[in-house]
Amino acid sequence: MFNINYTFHWNQAFRALPQMLEGALVTLQIAVLSMVIGIVIGVLLALAKDSRVAALRWFANIWIEVARNTPALFQVYMIYFGIPAVLQLVAGVFGVNFRALGINIFYLDSYWAVLVGIAFNNAGYLAETFRGGLRAVPPTQTRAARSLGFNAVDSFRLIVLPQMFRAVFHPMTNQMVWAILMTSVGIFVGLNIDLTGVTQELNARTFRTFEFFALAAAIYYVIAKIVTGGARLIAWRLFRY
Amino acid sequence: MKLPVMFGAAAMAASLIVTPVFADKLDDIIASGVLRCAVVLDFPPMGSRDDNNEPIGFDVDTCADLAAALGVDYEIVETPFPDRIPALVSGRADVGVASTSDTLERAKTIGFSIPYFAFNNVVLTRDDTGIESYEDLAGKNLGSVAGVFEAIALEEDHNEWDAGGSFRTFQSQADVFLALNQGQIDATVVTGTVAAATIESGNFSGFKIAGEAPYLVDYVSLIALRQEYGLLNYLNLFVHQQYRTGRYEELFEKWVGGGAQPPSLALNGIYY
Repeated sequence: MFNINYTFHWNQAFRALPQMLEGALVTLQIAVLSMVIGIVIGVLLALAKDSRVAALRWFANIWIEVARNTPALFQVYMIYFGIPAVLQLVAGVFGVNFRALGINIFYLDSYWAVLVGIAFNNAGYLAETFRGGLRAVPPTQTRAARSLGFNAVDSFRLIVLPQMFRAVFHPMTNQMVWAILMTSVGIFVGLNIDLTGVTQELNARTFRTFEFFALAAAIYYVIAKIVTGGARLIAWRLFRY
Repeated sequence: MKLPVMFGAAAMAASLIVTPVFADKLDDIIASGVLRCAVVLDFPPMGSRDDNNEPIGFDVDTCADLAAALGVDYEIVETPFPDRIPALVSGRADVGVASTSDTLERAKTIGFSIPYFAFNNVVLTRDDTGIESYEDLAGKNLGSVAGVFEAIALEEDHNEWDAGGSFRTFQSQADVFLALNQGQIDATVVTGTVAAATIESGNFSGFKIAGEAPYLVDYVSLIALRQEYGLLNYLNLFVHQQYRTGRYEELFEKWVGGGAQPPSLALNGIYY
């Protein structure tokens, strides 16, 4: 028999709405910054993966493989807890104790760990998206640009890239929504100011689990809808023929 | 037979057959033969796992005692701090034996027994941070478990000091200690028993206790669904019996010990 022994107190959840919306702003901020960084690195990775230099190809391959084939939670957790532990171990092998010197090079704030982790993930996914996008731009475009006097950098920057972004704009929007939802893993590395972090604190304080999480889910949904809607508007402005 | 009499007789007969049965949670537990306790297992010495991965600790023994009193078997449902209430509400556990602070805010949602344990909070830090007392925490990077009693108190003070540094919350006590060990945070405030057990475990070198935190005594209760009066009454009597039979002191000696006095569960000058 299904029997849930619970009476909803929506009033309490709605009173905390301003706090949760502040959290939503932090969520959006991390997502936007991680996208900007991810796009820049993603373009570079896409070029590196098709590069003639083997070292670059290897570097890009490792990044993309790890970013795409391991959980986002693992990536963020490694950046927050894993890398400092490894650095500490390596420093210890060389007999250096930064702590004793009063230097804490291992400290990485939760906010930055989440931002770096999601940017890492975005860059990996976007690199593959961009590679596909670059294939969609006919090679004749570059040749035509070069024959008109553009140098190699300009022909890529001014002719190929804009066409690539047009081709991959919708997959990029998906990645943006994914980035917003991924910020919720920040809760595992001490992030208590984003939407999930604020929600979990309210939950632990009041035990009104279902109200707060339902409200948080609704806010995530609205943010994601606004982002996709906004992207459609931008696409209509930028990419119409 | 007249019609009204017939109806009356029929109604009486029906009432005998379909007497509504209001089996409450206490009945359900006894009938099922199993008591399922939500216990936090990364919170030594209250709850943890031994070398064979079996649950042990003050809370586990308390659950076993409760089950013995009810004449049923017990089952430990491992529950992280934030999931204690969902575990009860969704019916995965019957009772929470999980060091739950009895705040008025929470009592709107869940039912508390009388306190079965009490904590004093201490500052836990590393040797190299130069922190010697609670006052030294101003401006430092601090952290605690999301939403627990001492986290709420520490965050309030951190905001009041307004001296820089940060305050972070984690999902488990283990992650707080990991962050403290690696330097993501410089200090935390934890219950004295947990601090002592952690230092004694030897898992983290360089941890030390730097004085008491000036908080109110943190009384913790057994929890059950708010409307389960039968069960809550039973829990109250159970806690009282644990105390009066000396079992409370025995369990304290077993899990905390070290010559410390078991915390008093009574307040002078007021009824509970």
